Amino acid sequence: MLARSKLEEQGLGTKGGTPPLAETGSPLPPGSHRDEDVTADAWRAHRKHVFVLSEAGKPIYSRYGSEEALSSTMGVMMALVSFVQSGDNTIRSVYSDQHMVVFMQQGPLVLVSVSSSGQSEQQLRQELRYVYNQIVSMLTQASIERIFQHKKNYDLRRLLAGSEKILDALLDLLDREPSFMLSAVRCVPLPCSLRDSLGQTLQKAITPNLVFSILIAHQQLVTIVQEKTVIEDARLEPSDLHLLLNLVGASSAFQAGEIWTPICLPCFNPDCYFYAYISYLDPPDCTVCLLLLSTDKEAFYAVAECKRKIEEAMLAQNALAAIAKAHSYSVSQVGVSDLRHFMYKPFDVPDNHRQLTQFTRDGVPITISGAEAGRLLDLYRDLHSRIHSSSRPLKLIYHVAERETLLAWVTSKFELYTCFSPLVTKASAINAITKLLRWIKKEEDRLFIRYPPKYSTTPNPSRSARKAAADQHDTTDNGFLSLL
Amino acid sequence: MSETYDFLFKFLVIGSAGTGKSCLLHQFIENKFKQDSNHTIGVEFGSRVVNVGGKTVKLQIWDTAGQERFRSVTRSYYRGAAGALLVYDITSRETYNALTNWLTDARTLASPNIVIILCGNKKDLDAEREVTFLEASRFAQENELMFLETSALTGENVEEAFLKCARTILNKIESGELDPERMGSGIQYGDASLRQLRQPRGSAAQTKQQCSC
Repeated sequence: MLARSKLEEQGLGTKGGTPPLAETGSPLPPGSHRDEDVTADAWRAHRKHVFVLSEAGKPIYSRYGSEEALSSTMGVMMALVSFVQSGDNTIRSVYSDQHMVVFMQQGPLVLVSVSSSGQSEQQLRQELRYVYNQIVSMLTQASIERIFQHKKNYDLRRLLAGSEKILDALLDLLDREPSFMLSAVRCVPLPCSLRDSLGQTLQKAITPNLVFSILIAHQQLVTIVQEKTVIEDARLEPSDLHLLLNLVGASSAFQAGEIWTPICLPCFNPDCYFYAYISYLDPPDCTVCLLLLSTDKEAFYAVAECKRKIEEAMLAQNALAAIAKAHSYSVSQVGVSDLRHFMYKPFDVPDNHRQLTQFTRDGVPITISGAEAGRLLDLYRDLHSRIHSSSRPLKLIYHVAERETLLAWVTSKFELYTCFSPLVTKASAINAITKLLRWIKKEEDRLFIRYPPKYSTTPNPSRSARKAAADQHDTTDNGFLSLL
Repeated sequence: MSETYDFLFKFLVIGSAGTGKSCLLHQFIENKFKQDSNHTIGVEFGSRVVNVGGKTVKLQIWDTAGQERFRSVTRSYYRGAAGALLVYDITSRETYNALTNWLTDARTLASPNIVIILCGNKKDLDAEREVTFLEASRFAQENELMFLETSALTGENVEEAFLKCARTILNKIESGELDPERMGSGIQYGDASLRQLRQPRGSAAQTKQQCSC
């Protein structure tokens, strides 16, 4: 087959299936991805490659190796896309023994994933969507389209210079974190009273045009307060929050400093920027982060004032110490002996269609290795893809294997993934789950954000609208066109 | 936490991406070299109170991202800056060649009287030097800039760069060349100075002549 032979020519031929997280044993230190030799076997052996190029075949990003060195490989990818396009069709994927190649075209960008991870096409495509959205979060979709309209062979790396780390970090998170697969945000388990008072603190510290106030601890959500009229239009999607958190996490903050940066929330509105105020409240540990999003570019001082109010109030409540004490819970707290791990995502939350989807999971015990955690996540992902398969969705999967027994269950009220020891019986598994669900119900005020507060700041109406108005021209391009 | 200071100066740190602006700021404020190098997104804000020429001055410093995509945001923070560190990397000719662009931006977008100090950063990497002290010094002279070679890694000349800039601004205030009461000067009186505001100042008449609005 033409496609297959082309791939083999480029060295992406059949190889023995790579075990999950083979990278942990890789001799390359992190951060030297860009210098990797793309002609080496080690490069070919990576579990998942991701490439981004423009319609003109110009390289934009490669997860491993320098995208510049891969321009001819990317040329081949573009050739495949064009070849199929000329037949009035769209290339979606190429299957080989050990690899799957997934193509996705989004506007003027082409994204390609080459994976031996065993994930489904649907899952790989969702990951490419995340990569595309992270790029949009930095540039806006309107800008990308306008730039390529003006200049088909524009080198987008000019605008993405320095952001490779952000995309690298995103891909690492996609590998390690179940929150992407579940499309939900993980919350810090906190006593209800503390969370409520923090919510009220954020709710009171407002300024015109402030739309989201978000408090994060250890990359998990403490609380979020949103502007009333804004969320009437559209709700904040977990994927936008994931991208925002990745952007913040991958760009280390100046310890005692404050950052002000434009950021686009692609699912919310792919064509306009919010302005994010970012500050860590506990330097030098920097584990508690305050994010305040405004629609007003000039609002830094006003928003910084909000932060000072919030800081003061939190100091008075000794909130930072209380947050530090709230670490993740261990599965043993549930009190079910056979249960090893679980992830639970509820649907029956008050005001569900407006709320940020959340999930909870037990903290990964220190005794489990990174590779083992990766293997488990692979298994969960497999169950997830079977449950959500578009052709044959399932409600319950009971999977007995050598090292563990997994049970995945989706109902109208929740989605649950559990892992038991391999010798568990069906009866005791069901028993364990009943106990688990009861425990979660009992603890739900602590595990989830139940009633996030709202505030009213009457932000600039044209920006809160889901569909970007045509008159947003000069805010969306952010001056990019002048750089052409 | 109330700080008393005589003046507040707004400063910028500008220059091409990767020249070490954030590291210079971090070194100045924390006295440490920031090991994990991540590109600044947008603008970062930091401050420090210093003693200059017998006065306490709070420096409000805007560290800007060098990347093109942040140009629009960073440029809006140029407005009303009193002083700037214009940074290039002595091991990168490219960052030196780009100086004119940054200089033009600073002069047109910030205050016309902005006091700029040119910083040739990464002085510790002398072996990989691509820009000589002499040529940069000449460039600085031609463009009426102060000049220092700095190292955010060792801390050499970092404090000096900020202080020198602050001292020059202070001198200009005291000679009447700069007026803190003028909007957009990037200078404000602090609590300590406000008490002296009521007293007639010898330079008042001179200041009015300098006013070019």
